[in-house]
Order: sequence, then structure tokens, then C-alpha cells
Amino acid sequence: MAHGHTGTINNPGSLKVSSGFQGLLGAMALGGLGLFIAGMMADKDRAWASFVVNHFFFLGIAMGALFFISVQYISQTMWSAPIRRVSEALTAYLPFAIVTFGVLFYGLHDIYHWTHPEYVAGDLVLEGKASYLNQKFFIIRDSIALFLWLVFANKMVGNSLKQDESRDPALSARNKVMAPIFLMIFAISFTMVAFDQLMSLDAHWFSTMFGVYAFAGIFYSGLAATGIMLVFLRRRGMLTGIVNDNHLHDVGKFMFAFTVFWAYIGFSQFMLIWYANLPEETGYMIKRMTHPWLYLSVFLLVGKFLVPFFFLMRRSAKRTEAILFYTGIFMLIAQYMDLIWIVQPEFFGNKGLQLGWIELGTTVGFLGVFGFFLFRFLSKNNVVAIGDPNLANSVFHHHI
Amino acid sequence: MTSHSSERTAPLKAVVGFFDNPEDIMTGMKTVRAANFEQFDAYTPFPVHGLDEVQGLKKSWIPWVTLALGMSGTSIAFVMQYWMSHEWPHIIGGKPFNSWPAFVPIMFELTILLAGISTFVALLISCGFPNIKKKIFDPSITNNKFAIAIEEPVKAKSGFKLFSESEAIQVLKTAGAKDVRAVIQEGWFS
Repeated sequence: MAHGHTGTINNPGSLKVSSGFQGLLGAMALGGLGLFIAGMMADKDRAWASFVVNHFFFLGIAMGALFFISVQYISQTMWSAPIRRVSEALTAYLPFAIVTFGVLFYGLHDIYHWTHPEYVAGDLVLEGKASYLNQKFFIIRDSIALFLWLVFANKMVGNSLKQDESRDPALSARNKVMAPIFLMIFAISFTMVAFDQLMSLDAHWFSTMFGVYAFAGIFYSGLAATGIMLVFLRRRGMLTGIVNDNHLHDVGKFMFAFTVFWAYIGFSQFMLIWYANLPEETGYMIKRMTHPWLYLSVFLLVGKFLVPFFFLMRRSAKRTEAILFYTGIFMLIAQYMDLIWIVQPEFFGNKGLQLGWIELGTTVGFLGVFGFFLFRFLSKNNVVAIGDPNLANSVFHHHI
Repeated sequence: MTSHSSERTAPLKAVVGFFDNPEDIMTGMKTVRAANFEQFDAYTPFPVHGLDEVQGLKKSWIPWVTLALGMSGTSIAFVMQYWMSHEWPHIIGGKPFNSWPAFVPIMFELTILLAGISTFVALLISCGFPNIKKKIFDPSITNNKFAIAIEEPVKAKSGFKLFSESEAIQVLKTAGAKDVRAVIQEGWFS
């Protein structure tokens, strides 16, 4: 809340990204592609498993950021005006998801058992699910979901960028109308995509909470990435006089809160299955509660919940750039391990965690692509939504 | 309640300076703080942003109470349930005795309960509740005036400027107070 502060805010402009750095990211992308293809020849299962993990991880950061943006519009919040552009930059990766969805559809046979008619035949559960879980419907509904996400991301981020020039408050109003529509579509379509792409890896298993579990993970990583980029831009001196410690504190609170949210959802999903003890549900959890996956489950409890929880608990921690930055990096790693926890036991069973050059190579490739789109966005657009009508009030954001 | 210093008979408790707007009290507070009195406080009709920093308020100790009692809640709930299942074992839902997943919701609830209640109680204590002696010295501080009160500490500590009425009045006047008044003690409920 500001008491009638006036004055103009200097536009920090766009981030200067050296062509060498963009070249490095491009090289990472190409190198990753090479390693993925090499991995494909060496060990198909490992290559596909790491592809699914990375595809969902980076899609998740972008979608988590888009969700964050929508929530800011729908709650008509003032404080987040100077940091919203950072989240918008994270969605720049989304168009590339067309490629990753395409690759996923191409690899459907190698990734999902239920795509094999001989595997489904005679299996009562899978035959019962076949009207939903079949390749054609899978490709159609997931493509529609991605299409809708791209449309809304394009419109909402586009309106925000247009506002930089025109300073037209009507553009904010338009996004306020779009945000709730997107959120309703997102709730259904994201649950569907999580069911399709992650839960159906074990086609016999089902959990009605899986959608919200996947959502808890992507929002967790979207917030962590927003915090990291915010600190990065502040350290570069781009946000001086615009993003103060109070904004950082609020992003930290979001990260802290959704650490707890993930733990809450993750435990709820586990406990319901544990309590009901239904054979068709428990297999998934038993696999992950016994050797060789037990230690990964313990890592998630400690690393994805307790470590960020206690690191971000103190007020001063959320206001300290370095703590926020490194906790954010750690949270991204934890989310990555969570996806491995979901994907790898279905591929490798008793072989245990696979983390070698194939996995790291694919990750480096995706990181290169994600970074390339992110920094291209930041180098082309202002790093602050300079035309936002709430910006002037938010710059003087202060906590009591 | 308040009266002019020359007319009073009861002992002096505090000197209060009144300001018209948040900006004035902010600059005024800097002067008052620099004077290094032991006990001074601001009274405003609404929260004034940044005033706590200017005033040099220390960080509240309440979060430590929340943390300590919250963590106690977690452990008490676990120990309680473990002890109960151990002393009076029952087979529930075919689960083994002392199944920890069943304990977690109670651990969570007791964490929140103890943390929440202790925070509330700590807040009341830190605000000096119950306080039936101090009365509001002027109704305008809940309406349109901003005040800084320099009080006489019950026991003076070393390292601070000794409280004196004339000096306190002088400091408040230099701080830009529009109106400076003395507050005297009149006993309970008067």
C-alpha cells in the first residue's frame, strides 16, 4: 500500500545477452540432442525415460510460471507487477513444447506399454480403460491441451508486452478476463496431461490425486525459477529501484508455502493409498517404498520438503538474495528428482536409479533450449512490465 | 487525562508530541530517536510504512515462540500416539502396530494448534496484556493525529539519556511536533 507516491520509474530496458552466451546455450541444445540420439542407440529405455522426465520438467516450469501469472491477474494483485515479466519470460519456452509433444507422440510405443495391443489383450483392467487410453485419443486430447495453453500464453503474455508500449490499462482488464478462463481450462487439461503422460506409465495404477500432485510439483518449480531469475536480474543491476527486498520476500513466501503444499499433497496421496490398502493401488507405492527406490522417496521427503522448508522459514532468509537463489536451485533439482521418482521405477524396476551420461546429456540439451528461449525473450523485451498500471504503486511495496 | 505541566499535582508520566501527517512523524521520529531516550513510542491511527525502521524497533521474539511450540506439537503428537499404540495395541485396518503414516495427520494438526495458540498468547503478552493502568492519552490518535510519546522508564537503565520533562519537550518541539503536552498519572480508571 502506498500513500499517493508519484514519480516516474526508469525503464531498465532489456537484458543484454552476449551472442557468445546464446551460442553456448545453442551448443548445449545441439550437444544434448546428439547425446540423446546416441543414448537412443545405446539404451533406448534410458533415453526415453530421461526424455519424459525432461520434457515434463521444463514444460512444468513454463506452465507453473503461466499459472502464477494468471493468479496475479485473477487476484488483481499490486505487489507482483514488477516481477511478473520474469515469470512471463519463463513461458517463452512453451512453443518448443510442440516439438517435445511431437517426439513424445513419436515414441509412444517405446514409452507406454498400453500402446501395444498384445499387452492389452486379455488384461481386463487395460481393456476396460482402452476407450480412453488409446493412441488416437491420447494424441488428440494432449494436442488440444497444448494448443489451448499456447493460445492463452500467447494472448496473456502478448497483452502484457503490448502494454509496455501503449500503457493501456484495458490490456490488463482483458487479461483479468482471460486468466480465470485459462485457469478452468488448465485445471482440467493439466490433470489430463499428467494422467496421460506420467500416470499411464503404469497403466494399471490410478490415483485421483495424481493431477494435483503433478500440479504441486510444477508450481513449486515455476516459483523456484521465478525466484532464481529475479535474483539474477537484481544482481545484474537491472531491477534497482524497482524490485526491493519486500518483493523478494513475497516470492520467498510463495516458494515456502508451496513447499508445504507439495508435501501436503504428496503425503495425502500416499496416505489414502496406504490406508485403503487396495491391491490395484498399492503396487505403485510399494515399489517406491522398497529397495532400490526407497532412498529416493526419503530424499523427496527430506530434500523436497524439509530442506527448503527450514531454509526459507526465517524472514531474513527470504530477503537474502543468495539464500533464495541457492534454495531455488535446490528446489529445481528436487522437482527433477521427483519426476525421476515418478518415471524411472516404471522403466527400470529393480535396476534402480539411472543417472549417467544419457540422462545428464538430455538434461543439458533441454537446459540449453530452455535457456535459449528465456534469454532471447529477456533480450528482446523489457525486463519489467513498464506499462502496468499497478507498477508505480508496487515499486513502493512495503511490509509492516 | 492530560493537562498542562504547570497545573498538575500528580507525577509526570510522559510527554507527547502531536503531528499532523505520516511524513511529519517520520522525520520527527528520526530526531527523537537520535536524542537517545530509553522509552519512546509512536501512536498512529493507521500503520505508517517504514516507521518501525526509523524508530529502530527490534525484531519481534514471537516467531521463536511459534517455532518452539510448533516443533513441540509435532513431537508431542508423535510421542503421544506412539505411547498409546504401544500401551494399548489394537489392530486397525490390518495395519501393523505403531504405523507412522497414521500418525502424521495428528502430528500436523497438533503442530498447527500449538503454534497458532502460542503465537496468539505470545502476541497478547508482548502487547502487555492485561493492561488496565495505561489509558489512551488522547482520542485523536485513533482518528487524525500522529503522536510520539517519550515516557519515563520505571527503572532507568544506563546508556540512555536520563528522562527530563523540559528536555523531552524540547526534543519534541525540534522534531516538529505541532502540539506538545505532558501526560500525568491519575491512578486507576480515572
